[in-house]
Amino acid sequence: MKHIKMAMLAVFVLFALAVAGCGSSPEAINQEASTSAIRAAQEVGASEVPSASLYLQLAKEGLEKAKALAANGNKEQAESMLLRAQADAELAIILSHGDADKTEATAALERVKTLRQDNK
Amino acid sequence: MKLIKYLTLVAFVGLLISCSASVPPKELSNARQAYHQASMGQAAKLVPAELHKAKTALDAAEQAYKDDPDSYKTKDLAYVADRKSKMAEGLAQSAAEKAATEKANNDFQAAQTEILKDTKEDLAASEKDAMLKAEKLASEKKARLDAEAALAKLAAVKEEERGLVITLSGSVLFASDKSALLPAAQERLNQVAEALLATKERRITIEGHTDSQGSTSYNQQLSLKRADAVRSYIISRGYPSDLVYALGIGEDRPIADNNSVEGRANNRRVEIIINRTGK
Repeated sequence: MKHIKMAMLAVFVLFALAVAGCGSSPEAINQEASTSAIRAAQEVGASEVPSASLYLQLAKEGLEKAKALAANGNKEQAESMLLRAQADAELAIILSHGDADKTEATAALERVKTLRQDNK
Repeated sequence: MKLIKYLTLVAFVGLLISCSASVPPKELSNARQAYHQASMGQAAKLVPAELHKAKTALDAAEQAYKDDPDSYKTKDLAYVADRKSKMAEGLAQSAAEKAATEKANNDFQAAQTEILKDTKEDLAASEKDAMLKAEKLASEKKARLDAEAALAKLAAVKEEERGLVITLSGSVLFASDKSALLPAAQERLNQVAEALLATKERRITIEGHTDSQGSTSYNQQLSLKRADAVRSYIISRGYPSDLVYALGIGEDRPIADNNSVEGRANNRRVEIIINRTGK
């Protein structure tokens, strides 16, 4: 009876270790795409454009969440979160460019208007 | 009784579960709305490839929703699809702005070209105008010089402050003590008039002068009659009457000594003054 109890205890300990191990060892994830996208968004001045700065912030937060998930061993969920962060950063880039394009269009239209007014 | 309560509870829980399963996560609702908005805008025309990427992403989210409605995968795919639709909208907006910039730049160039063309035409017209004016001035100057040269052959011509002064001897034009023009004088005056007509827009003053023999009042009247006679003749040759004036100066402005025969002959004269500065 005693050795049966010992065996059961050993099995239990092993099982507990296995369960703990499944949920807690850090996983490596490929952050390169989202990190590059965030850097690119910063370089084009997304933080200066109101609409773009929101998505840049979301991208950074998403990257941190992904790292936390990876640290907890949730690799698949972490990689899914990285896709969110990358999408947010790419949107921030596009909105930054859009703002610059709008400024340029406004200036070009103003130039034509001024030329026509000055030469009436 | 206990059984009825238990079955009611199970049914209620089952109902709750089935209701929650039919309501999509907010990420998917947002993604659907974002795609709808993007597809109704300029993206379909300007950036169709980007819109297609958004549609593909939305389809993947929808499939994940069917497979596992509440999974993080469904929510994350929907989130990404939402962003892709917004990207398509943003890129379409950029494309539209760039097209507007290009058009504005083309319009600017065209307007500049037009202005330059107009300026060149104006400049050419001004230059032509200036050239014509210069030609006219040169022509007028030549006519005047030719007239002066012609006059110089007929009479004494002198440039004075009051203008160009043509002096005709009184004895050539009139008999002694008379104010009617001699026949020979008319021929001389024809030639003078012809020269004057070359400068037809100038004001002319005709002054009659006498020597000091006889009374001052008599000389005054005689000199005026003689000036009038010359004036009438010049007008009869075609010179505008409102530009010809006659004055009788009498003996008041001698140009030679009245004590000599020669001096008195020189003082008996008619002067025709052409005003150089216009009417």
